[in-house]
Amino acid sequence: MAARQPFADADTADEAVRATCDDATTCKRFATSKGYWKDSSLQYFVRNVGERKAPEINRGYYARVQGVNLLLDAFLKKTQGHCQVINLGAGLDTTFWRLQEENLLPRKLFEVDFPTVVARKIHHIKTKPPLSKPIIDVHSTDSLLLESHVLDSDRFCIIGADLRDVPGLDEKLRRFQLDPELPTLLLSECVLVYMTPSQSSSLVHWAAQTFHTAMFINYEQVNMSDRFGQVMIENLQRRRCALAGVELCQSLDSQKERFLRAGWDQANALDMMAVYSVLPQDDVARIERLEFLDEKELLQQLLQHYCICWATKDRLNLGLSQLAF
Amino acid sequence: MAEVTNEAELLKEKANKFFKEKDYENAIKYYSEALELNPSNAIYYSNRSLAYLRTECYGYALADATKALEVDKNYIKGYYRRATSNMALGKFKAALKDYETVVRVRPNDKDARMKYQECNKIVKQKAFERAIASDDKKKSVVDSLDIESMTIEDDYVGPKLEDGKVTLQFMKDMMDWFKDQKKLHRKCAYQILIQVKDVLSKLPSLVEITIKETDKLTICGDTHGQYYDLLNIFELNGLPSEANPYLFNGDFVDRGSFSVEVILTLFGFKLLYPDHFHLLRGNHETDNMNQMYGFEGEVKAKYTAQMFQLFSEVFQWLPLAQCINNKVLVGGHKCFRFTGLLLLFSPMCDLLWSDPQPQNGRSISKRGVSCQFGPDVTQHFLEQNKLDYIVRSHEVKAEGYEVTHSGKCITVFSAPNYCDQMGNKGAYIHLRGSDLKPEFHQFTAVPHPNVKPMAYANTLMQLGMM
Repeated sequence: MAARQPFADADTADEAVRATCDDATTCKRFATSKGYWKDSSLQYFVRNVGERKAPEINRGYYARVQGVNLLLDAFLKKTQGHCQVINLGAGLDTTFWRLQEENLLPRKLFEVDFPTVVARKIHHIKTKPPLSKPIIDVHSTDSLLLESHVLDSDRFCIIGADLRDVPGLDEKLRRFQLDPELPTLLLSECVLVYMTPSQSSSLVHWAAQTFHTAMFINYEQVNMSDRFGQVMIENLQRRRCALAGVELCQSLDSQKERFLRAGWDQANALDMMAVYSVLPQDDVARIERLEFLDEKELLQQLLQHYCICWATKDRLNLGLSQLAF
Repeated sequence: MAEVTNEAELLKEKANKFFKEKDYENAIKYYSEALELNPSNAIYYSNRSLAYLRTECYGYALADATKALEVDKNYIKGYYRRATSNMALGKFKAALKDYETVVRVRPNDKDARMKYQECNKIVKQKAFERAIASDDKKKSVVDSLDIESMTIEDDYVGPKLEDGKVTLQFMKDMMDWFKDQKKLHRKCAYQILIQVKDVLSKLPSLVEITIKETDKLTICGDTHGQYYDLLNIFELNGLPSEANPYLFNGDFVDRGSFSVEVILTLFGFKLLYPDHFHLLRGNHETDNMNQMYGFEGEVKAKYTAQMFQLFSEVFQWLPLAQCINNKVLVGGHKCFRFTGLLLLFSPMCDLLWSDPQPQNGRSISKRGVSCQFGPDVTQHFLEQNKLDYIVRSHEVKAEGYEVTHSGKCITVFSAPNYCDQMGNKGAYIHLRGSDLKPEFHQFTAVPHPNVKPMAYANTLMQLGMM
């Protein structure tokens, strides 16, 4: 009997990264159950509301979801839906169902994540009509591909891939009718930070090379060189979750630089405190009444250590650089 | 028809004159006559409403304001009047609705906005007071407990009270027991709670103590369930004793994962040294907070809901503030009205409710409960009460403490690396009877077992967004 090999270090690290998709999903599940925003699809990915999360976490996720959606929707409206969206490291994201319900679907929405994550997502979709029906509803051609690690329909495609293998990613996307001529939105939320700077730069560079009219939205850490940032890094290390790309999270400038260096024309970035303050304030006032936050400093620190950075290139001159908060 | 209107207007003018001369009875009389001639004039109702307010006939004032709006729902003054009447009647939520209307229609009206914010503040304060108010009609959990017949199983090898009393040996054994993450038998926990409830219920809301010239008192701020950091404080500063008195300024529980251990330790010392170990109530010693921030969940997980009920009752008996040598006031946290020399002073209330700010005056933050007070407010309050300075907590500070308002307002916070996230230092204050000048001591966080924090929070609190 062969001795069992211990997990290679790389795989342990990857496993820890994959597990983060559960963190995001359970936090969103709790926040939506408290009324921070509406998302009726989450319950099909996480049935139980689960443990209570701290109010600053709920507000933080609110800012993230609202902030990203604001830019995403602006892009969809600007291109009038004649575009495609690629969500890199999508996890159990429910954007497809939101856009389908709101009639805002792009020509095609692609989601990419590790094969094991994708397999879980597809399993949920297969077994829950509220998830599968909307996909079928917007699918008109004959073949709907539904395998364990890939789902391909007219408007929605989920692919298992490793984002660090850019040629592989490119090949898979093109296999499922990725159209480089279409204005394209790429989205990554807490994804690039888990790769080394060189790996994420390959990905960002590939995007700039492949699409002539596009926007890349990146949500992740920023301002990481202070004490709060250091404590976060230590806490994550204890969970075997290394922020391999944290060096690019030093400041808003470093976040923008990585896009400009990789061939994007324009880049903007705001930390989440700033985003929070430019979100529709009556809704912010509403969510702040949902739970009393005892220590505002906790929320401030949290928000100051995350940012949304968005980069554009615009050969078709659609005015993408004007999209902002 | 025009004649009637004209006559009514004349009567109104007459009434207005009386109003200006503060002859409200006559003002009311003539507004009423005007209304008899012209019953669908919103202004007459509104003016009469104001006259009624001046004569403290709030019910009539409300009725008139309501009538004014019935006649003309766009008459903004009507909303104002109704809001004022409701405020006077203590119906703050109703008043708030009307102020909201005015603010919405007149977004640039500073007075309207100010009234709205003041009213909002009161509504929130009331809600909070309801949360902390003790309900005399409720039966105490103590009545339904039969401690005597609770048995301690033979296989329990943990600490027990000696002859039903807390001793120094018991405290040492219990602290070690807790350090190993073991659970104190529920009978012992109940014994401690019942006894400490008895001790606390005899204390006034404002405790006055004197420390002698040669004495030294240690004042700690929030500890928030960070048991291992509390042990570290005792390590650095010595165990509590008659020669080493302590004052813990509230927020003992919630957020941190070892709130039960912290509170039982603090209560134990209170029983052991009732006159040399002081505890003040913080805003986290309330039901609403415990529900949200983990203490209730932790007690339910480690013991029972009934035990949490008892904690809740005991918290209600905690004093709110402490005055040392008539010179230094140590404050509980968010708004507390309290008895004693400092009571009816609304600025005082503000001080304990709010946070210091650098600029003079008071300001209310754009949203939410928080309001701030400036150095002038502190100065005025201290002068009025012949105090030297105040010590408060509830705000995390990077250095564990902060001195503001030229030394007159001190913040002390004793939970280092708060929530395993903030990376802050903790601090405590040495106060000597000889000069009453604060001496600050800082300390950093110590490791703690990697225990999933409470039943209601989880490790994500330290990890942020994923």
